[in-house]
Amino acid sequence: MSCAKKIKLDEKILPILADDLLEDTPLVEVFVDSIKDQKTISKVVKDLNASCPIPELTHLKRIKAKEILLLIKNNLEKQQVHEYLKSNGFNVSLLCNQIRIVSVAKIAPKTKTQHAKVNQLWPCNFHSDKYIEKLSTNTLFDHSEILEHQLYMKVAIEVARYSKQNKIAHFSKGVVIVDPKIKSIVALGYSVTHENPCKHAPMIAIDNVAKTQNGGAWNNYEQLTTTKLNLCGIHPKLYTLLQEKFPQITFGASRFKGKSIKEPSDGPYLCTGYCVYSTHEPCIMCAMALVHSRVKRVFYGVKTNNGGLGTLCKVHTVKDLNHHYEVFTKLCQDECESLKDV
Amino acid sequence: MNEGTKQGQIHNSPPIMSRDIINLTDHEKFFMEKAFSFAKEALGNQEVPVGCIFVHKNEILAVGRNEVNETKSATRHAEMICIDQIVNYSKENSKNYMEIFREIDVFVTVEPCIMCAAALYNLKVRSVTFGCRNDRFGGSTVFDVAEILKPVTIVKGGYRSEEAMQLLKDFYKGQNPNAPESKVKKKKSDVDVKQDSL
Repeated sequence: MSCAKKIKLDEKILPILADDLLEDTPLVEVFVDSIKDQKTISKVVKDLNASCPIPELTHLKRIKAKEILLLIKNNLEKQQVHEYLKSNGFNVSLLCNQIRIVSVAKIAPKTKTQHAKVNQLWPCNFHSDKYIEKLSTNTLFDHSEILEHQLYMKVAIEVARYSKQNKIAHFSKGVVIVDPKIKSIVALGYSVTHENPCKHAPMIAIDNVAKTQNGGAWNNYEQLTTTKLNLCGIHPKLYTLLQEKFPQITFGASRFKGKSIKEPSDGPYLCTGYCVYSTHEPCIMCAMALVHSRVKRVFYGVKTNNGGLGTLCKVHTVKDLNHHYEVFTKLCQDECESLKDV
Repeated sequence: MNEGTKQGQIHNSPPIMSRDIINLTDHEKFFMEKAFSFAKEALGNQEVPVGCIFVHKNEILAVGRNEVNETKSATRHAEMICIDQIVNYSKENSKNYMEIFREIDVFVTVEPCIMCAAALYNLKVRSVTFGCRNDRFGGSTVFDVAEILKPVTIVKGGYRSEEAMQLLKDFYKGQNPNAPESKVKKKKSDVDVKQDSL
């Protein structure tokens, strides 16, 4: 993708990536030496791998032209290196004894950009992960997919507007949860923090998803009895309004199948596989609620001061958590921004 | 270890290990006992056994336990249920809930998760006392929410932690009935008990 095209795309949608995909690969200092006779290169490599393997640096090649990577610097001095190799049974007479210290990649690079940088320092193996590459170069979505994401965000904006204009909410914030498998809106949410400080739009939307699974804790509307898809996650008034405004969109969740031993469930579980479209960046509480709910992707329009998906921190990239979702920002940014004037 | 903890300092203190025992007053022990009783109730109802109570001026104003499986909502942790009760209590008694929350002491059998920690810090509750660490979702063990939100809340943990952990182990022996079967069966040692949907 050309640079100009990419910049244009960055204005429409931008992934919020984990720091280890954005930052340079960390480096480590190693000792290197030169090999006296080019003909012995393969022997030196073989012997050295046998006597002094470096399990931490398997992503690096041992050889760079006539130079050979000996060992990680640790606490050794240059003068001690050959002594150390000898004590491990390596024939040091094959080397020139011109020990130098160089910095090399401490861990395997994750993206092409990272690889290009560390490969200059020392030859480095790299297995490109196509998906990560698409994410890190912001080429995951094609034009029609972006239009689809924008459409769902426009629904979220409509929900936000509706809630404020009808004096249901004090802040115009909207959330739409979509099941991408059936391309259907499962649940909606808007902020009712004046009622309860934890009732942020994403929390309401999560609870409304639960209603489509015979659950939910906050009963705030008469649930629609349903036809083919389950409409329990959508406020009836909003349903009528949105159906008119967005006739091309499908509403409702897949039928929920209760779990029993006889009938194993293949229906929805929490928000697994669902995509979340939020006009505003979720706070830390909501970001973690979305982790617990196992959503697939979160799209938001504008950053918030207390945001947990890029502003204050990146809850979705915390390594030790058992579930991770992808996050994209800037979707319909200007329209979401203008919600503050509603 | 946590005796000297002062307001706002908690995020600087070293991690509290599960074997650490904190000193509680008889009152506080009584409140923790109450929280444990709700954790046990959760276990009896096939929920992740976490119990919680909110105390205001030595009076219990809210009690809760995990209701995730019952409500099909991963946000219905014991703490969130107690928060809702305080909001309702405040409304019924024409009180400002933010003022009430500021004087609330939270007693919970397991370290609040990242979501609950953020919620409790934002509500500026006075203190949080917990039993065992939450090594899967913990709001300080897994990700330090306090470092970001700089709360006024005093946090202390480690009281009856082995017992709290044992309840979780008992639950996971039976497996979470609502979780889908994992595609890759992960090897887990008996000691390394992880908690699902806390």
